[in-house]
Formats: sequence, structure tokens, C-alpha cells
Amino acid sequence: MLLFLLRRIGLMLITALCLTFVVFALTNLPAKLETLAKTQAGSRMTDAEVARWIDRNGYGSPMLQRYGEWLGVIPGWVRHDDDGTVHGRCVDRHQDPSLAGSRCGILQGDWGYSTRFQDNVSTVISARVGATGLLMMWVLIVMVPMALIVGVLAGMREGSRTDRALSTFAIASTATPEYVSGVLFIALLASSTVGLSPLLASWGWIDGRVLFQGNARSAMEDITLSNFTLPVLTIALYGMGYVARITRASMTEVMTQQYIRTARLKGVSFSKIVLKHALRNALIAPFTVIMLQIPWLLNGVVISEVLFSYPGFGWTLYEAAVNNDIELLLASSVVAVVVVLVTQLISDIGYVYLNPRIRIS
Amino acid sequence: MKDVIDTVQDRVHPAAEIYLRDHTAGKLSRREFLTRTTALGVAATAAYGMLGLVAPEARAEDMTPVMGGTLKMQMSIKAQRDPRTWDWSELANACRGWLEYLVDYQRDGSLTPVLLESWEASEDAKVYTLHVRQGVTWNNGDAFTAQDVAHNITRWCDASVEGNSMASRMGSLMENDAAREGAIEVVDDHTVRLNLSAPDIALIVSMADYPAAIMHPSFNGDDPVAEPIGTGPYRPVSYEPGIGAVVERNTDHTWWNAGNGAWLDRIEFVDLGTDPAAWVAAAEAGEIDLNYQAQGDIIDIFDSIGMPRSEAVTAATIAVRFNQDSEPYNNVAVRRGLQKAVNNAVVLELGYNDLGTVAENHHVCPIHPEYAQLPPLVVDGAAARAEIEAAGFGDYEFELISIDEPWQAETCDAVAAQIRDAGINIKRTILPGATFWNDWTKYPFSATEWNMRPLGVQVLNLAYRSGVPWNETAFANAEFDALLDQANGIADADARREVMRQIEEIMQNEGVLIQPYWRSIFRNAAENVHGAEMHPTFVVDYVNYWKS
Repeated sequence: MLLFLLRRIGLMLITALCLTFVVFALTNLPAKLETLAKTQAGSRMTDAEVARWIDRNGYGSPMLQRYGEWLGVIPGWVRHDDDGTVHGRCVDRHQDPSLAGSRCGILQGDWGYSTRFQDNVSTVISARVGATGLLMMWVLIVMVPMALIVGVLAGMREGSRTDRALSTFAIASTATPEYVSGVLFIALLASSTVGLSPLLASWGWIDGRVLFQGNARSAMEDITLSNFTLPVLTIALYGMGYVARITRASMTEVMTQQYIRTARLKGVSFSKIVLKHALRNALIAPFTVIMLQIPWLLNGVVISEVLFSYPGFGWTLYEAAVNNDIELLLASSVVAVVVVLVTQLISDIGYVYLNPRIRIS
Repeated sequence: MKDVIDTVQDRVHPAAEIYLRDHTAGKLSRREFLTRTTALGVAATAAYGMLGLVAPEARAEDMTPVMGGTLKMQMSIKAQRDPRTWDWSELANACRGWLEYLVDYQRDGSLTPVLLESWEASEDAKVYTLHVRQGVTWNNGDAFTAQDVAHNITRWCDASVEGNSMASRMGSLMENDAAREGAIEVVDDHTVRLNLSAPDIALIVSMADYPAAIMHPSFNGDDPVAEPIGTGPYRPVSYEPGIGAVVERNTDHTWWNAGNGAWLDRIEFVDLGTDPAAWVAAAEAGEIDLNYQAQGDIIDIFDSIGMPRSEAVTAATIAVRFNQDSEPYNNVAVRRGLQKAVNNAVVLELGYNDLGTVAENHHVCPIHPEYAQLPPLVVDGAAARAEIEAAGFGDYEFELISIDEPWQAETCDAVAAQIRDAGINIKRTILPGATFWNDWTKYPFSATEWNMRPLGVQVLNLAYRSGVPWNETAFANAEFDALLDQANGIADADARREVMRQIEEIMQNEGVLIQPYWRSIFRNAAENVHGAEMHPTFVVDYVNYWKS
């Protein structure tokens, strides 16, 4: 078990290293650095000014060296100005000239500085990941029970009317990407001119102008039913259909097993068979899928957070990518790697408990 | 009218009377008259007096402003930097609560003194005397003096700072990329005299431009939010790029103009990204009271959800320009040919929903005082095709690059469609903002958005003079430069118009750009928001906004 964990963590580190190197290489292409210079110091800069800016701000050294600086294995860059002031990667970050020539990268716990948000990457990421954590929590609270209920109900009696209806619903929801369902939800529920809200308002059923808010910015301070329903629903609906389909498949398979038939023949009631005999076995496959679905949901988080302007992890990733915020983008990819591999780890371990036939060596 | 002139004659700049004559003769609109005369140091009330009018109250509505309240406004919040290098009006707008200007440009086209009490120009517009307002203090307790004004003007003249755009406006005070010795004279504690090397009638108007915020001498050129020392009545509470900014009334500071503004307790700017659908959703949810600027269909949508529009007529425009350093646009016949294929009225209708007026490919607007009317442009697709063929580019595929901003893309689509209709091959490329800005000044054929400047010569100085930093047409013409220098020194609109006619003709003959229309710009605000009408230069002067 310990060996297994160690191997997994080792794999995580190697994956993170490879991924961050790819991201680093892509964000440090000369054209990207030029964009960065122009967004940082004025879009009307001349080529000479851009070159000077790149050089003065430590982007001029070879790429591998800068990657090493970011990792913290190579000392940070240093620049001595004519007026005697010292600038450098570590100096500017801590306002301390004595740090010239020391190392400051992620090995030293220093995640760098976000050029887009003008703050430490660690501050930005921790605040945003916290916001996404809340969103994901509500997504899972909505998605998992709904998916399991739909899947189990559909899989109980394969081919029945309930099965057909619920399967159609599940396929439709999983076939609708977030950028479609999100826009539909806004049009239907969050507009004072079209959809349901004007109708409800004219009947006097709702106090405000709209049923739900089509913008989740205020959820940063205070999460309410009104501002959080639509983003949660948009992400949850997409994942729900998929998990429900897996649950249904697993459930129908279990329902054809010999021991279920034996139980029926012995006169056990249908509800008892489902709850006591079928459910646990039917949940093994969905459990893995739910765990694997979490990193998958990060996609949805990006779209949904941008659509509803909710500043979480997905929104930050988008902003960092659009503004070529190198260190923030690198930290985001590390977070993504950790999320993927940790959820996989949990699913592997959880699998053992649900299915005693499997052993982790 | 006659006796009005007599009563003010002894006090006003002689050129102001020429403007008054122009105005009565119908050559100058009231708006132009006000811009011109107030720029010469005539107080706005006196300028209105010359017209036989009473100056309007700062607030046209018959309502007294109410103190208090929080205003939420959609506006993009970008990473801050030294004000003189600001390249977005939004950067200035967020700071207008504590950073003030020497003069303000008003919606009606007049200039209002703010940190100046008044100013005078000599008859040849080569010596300006600035009277600094008395009784102003910085919010750290220091007194505001003529030294501070001189310090700021010197800062503006420092062209060695990367991206300092004020330097291109202060040319007549500069020498060797810095302030010229003796150009800026502190006469006494409240008087500054500026000695120009060449006449510049736009000097004072330039000081109302958004990068001209007046900074405290201790400002080190970094972040004006981190060290919010200013003269205004507000102070920043938070400032997060991409998210928003909050400004609140500064209760520890006595503002020099107390009682005439600073009505709101708190202003919250919300950055909702560039997708206007998100702004609408936020407005519906009650998250914002007004937007920064609405465009195209979005204006109507905001109207329909109970946020009526306000319009500002401007000399803002889109310049579908050629870069004369690149093949094949170094050939004047090609440029002229492409121009000839495009009917600007059609571009206005298809590209901008007819929300503006047709322009004439020379970047001087009818609302500019020195505008000279030229014969109408000839549009002839067949002739255009023939000219391109004669130049040897019959089979060449042109490429028009634009950013994916809807109105800019649609405008360029309309231009390209007409060129295509004339039988000329052209390809359209639309780039996302992330890649567009990389090389945008060097694209051979592309579109640039231009904000308005109050005087016609100002944009020409900024954008078309040989070798200036903002000249992405690479237009370099000695005759044009010489005429522009000459125009910069003529205070009389009639006389300048003669020079301007030649300048406009050069612009057209050289085929510098396709300039399809002048934009009107719009803002939507909730009905209980007052004083927040759209401003022609995008000024968000929230010091004068209030809510009922």
C-alpha cells in the first residue's frame, strides 16, 4: 500500500514536471513574451522598447535557465541599474536587495508573481481554488444523488417506459455542452424580457425582475439560491447524464445476475432486492466514474465560470491564458495535475473497499 | 449680440472674437465655439455670455443631487501603471476620484478649469500663463502649488520613459526628449508660465487628456493606487485587475470643491470581461447600475430592460489603414484603388448600424473647428479594379486583418465585401485579442480604433506626422508635416481652415486610410442614476454622479 502511494506520488511529480515544462515552453515563445511586454507596459511600444523591456525584466535569458529559475534550482536573474539600484527575480519579489543571486522558485515555496492580477500567485490561486471548491461541492451535491437516482430507476427494469424516458433525459443532458445549456438557462430563467421570468413576475410569483441571476459575481461574497443555481445546474447537468448512463448500465447488469433471480424466486420484494442486494454491486462502476468525472468537470468549470463571471479556478485559468500570465498558468497546471491524480488515487483506493476481489499490491 | 461683444471685449482673447464671428456666420457650431474659446482661457460662463446665453448649471436636470448611495458600474479594471503611460481610458477613470486634472473637457465641448483657476494665451499662442487654484491641498496635507504643476509638466516631457504618451502632446516644451531649459517657469506660488518653441493651440486641451492626471511630487512612477496621494474627494479601497475596484469618500480630507460634487458614498467598478451578454445578465440581476459603453444590438437590449441610453456625438472613429512600409501598400495607386471601391455610407450602415456620420478618409471631423469641406468622394468599383490592375496587382490577394470585437470585425467585413464586389481578391482575417495586439501596428492592412480629440490638428499630430510613435500607417510626407506645423500655429479657425483644406487633400490623395464613419457612442444607465451620461472622450467623472 505504501509503495503504491509512493509510486503514485512519484508519477504525479513527473507528470507535473512534464506538463509545466510544456506550458512554460509555450508561454515563453518570443511572440508571447512580446504580448506580455505590450500588455504590461503599453500597447504602443516600439520593437526596441519591447526588446528592452524583455531584457530588463528577466525574460531575456535562455528558456531552460528561466525554467530552472521558476523551479528554484538555478539562482534568479539579477540586474544592476546605472543609479545603483539592484533588481532581480528574488529582489523585486521581496523588496530585499540582499537576496540578489539567491534561488526563489517553487522548491523554495515561492510560486511567483501574477502579472495579470498583480499579486502573488499563491494568494491568487488559493483564493480562486477556494471559490471553485465551493462551486464543485454544490455541483457534486446536486449531481451525484440525481445521477444515481436516475440511473438506478432506469436500470431497475431494463426496457420499461421509465427506463426509456430517463435514458432519453440522461443522453440529452450529457449531449448538451455547458456553453449551450448555460446560455439556454440564462435565456429561460435569468432574463427579464424572455423566458419564464417576465411571466412569473407578471403573475406576482417572484419579487425581483428575474427568477435566478445570470451572473454569479455576487456569490464571491455571499452564496444565495438566486446567484448560484444556474452555474451549479449548468455543470451538474452535463456530468449527471454521463454518470446516470453508467449507473444504469451497471444496474441492468446486476439485475440479470443469478443471485437476483434467486432472491426473486424466494419471494423477496422488489424494493428490497434493489436496495439490499443490487445497489452496492451496482455502485462500484459509478464510483470510479464519479471520481474520474471530477477532473473532467474542470472543463465545465472553465466554461461555466467564465459565462457567469464567477472568479474561481476555471476563470483564473482562462484569464491567465488570455493574458499570457506565465507563472499563474504554470501554477494552474500544477493544480490541475494534482486534482486529476488525487481523484484517481481516491478512486483506486475506494475501489478496493467496494470490491474486495481487487487488491492493491 | 453686438453689445454682448462690447461688454466682454476688454477681457477676452482676440481670437475668441474671431470665433464669435464665425459662430454668428454659422461657420462654428456652439460646441466648437466653446471648445475653441475656453481653450484660449475664456471662462466657460464668459464664453456662454458671448453667445448671449446663460451657462447651464453643471446638472441640466431640475433636480438637486442627493448625497449618499453606492453606484455599481461595469468597467474593465486593468493592471495600473504610471498615469503618463496610460493607454486605456479605464485606467484613468478608476482613479478620477482622487487624481484630478488641471482642466476637464466637458460633454458640451467646453473646458472647465479644475486645478487651475484660469489661464491665458498670448496672441501668437506661444506663451501660456497658468493661474494655479488657491486653497487646494493634497490628501496627505501638503499644499498644492505652482511647483507641483511645473513638476507634472516636466514629467510629461520626459520621453525617455517607455510608453509616455504625454511627451507626444508636449512637443513645443521639449528638447532632446526632455523639458527644454526655460520652457516651464514658476513665476510665483500660484503662477506658471509656459514658453513654447512653436505655437501650439492644443496645449491646454491636451492637459485634459486622460494621461494628464496631476500626481504628487512623491509619486515614484509606479502604481497610483498603491500610493493614492491626490487632491480629489475619494480614495481607493480595493483594486483587483480583472475583478473590480472600490472607491469610497475620503473622510479625512477636505476637498477644495466640497459641496459641488462627491455625492456618492461609494463607487464599485465590476469587471465582467468583454462579453456584453455577461453585462446584460449582471444588469438583470441588479449587479450593475450602468455600463461603461454599449455597442450595436446591446444598446437596444439594455434599453429594453429599463436602462435607457445616453448618446455622445464624437470624433471617435475606426481607421481602416494601410501600412505604407509594407508591400503592396507602399504603392499609392493600390491604396487609392482600394479606397475607391468602398462606399463609406454602406460601411456605416452594415458595420455600425448607422449609429454615426459618414467620414471622408482624411480623419478630420465636421465637429472639429478647422474642418474644411472637400468635394464628395468618388466611389467607382470598375475604376478601382482598373487601377489595381494597372498597378500590377490584378491577381493579388489582399488581406484585411481585424480584432474579433464585433463592430470592428463587421466594419472590416463591410469594407472587404465592397472591395470583393469590385472584382478585387481580398481575404478577411479575424484575430482574437490575445494575438491581435502583438503586431497590430505592423499589419499591412488593418483597423485601428481612434478616440476623439477636441481639435482636428491633434489627431493628425498624433497619428500621421512622420515617424511619431502612434503612426501605424507609416505615412511620411514632408509637405504634410510642414503644413501641420503651420496649422498648429494659427489660432484663427478661418485661416487654419485654408491650411487644413490642403492637409485633407494630401490625406485623400495619398490614400492614407479608409475612414468610413464617425462613431456616436452610447452608455446605458438605470433611471435613478444621474450625471452619468456618456462622455465623448469616455470620461467617467464619478465625482459628479449621483443616485436618486
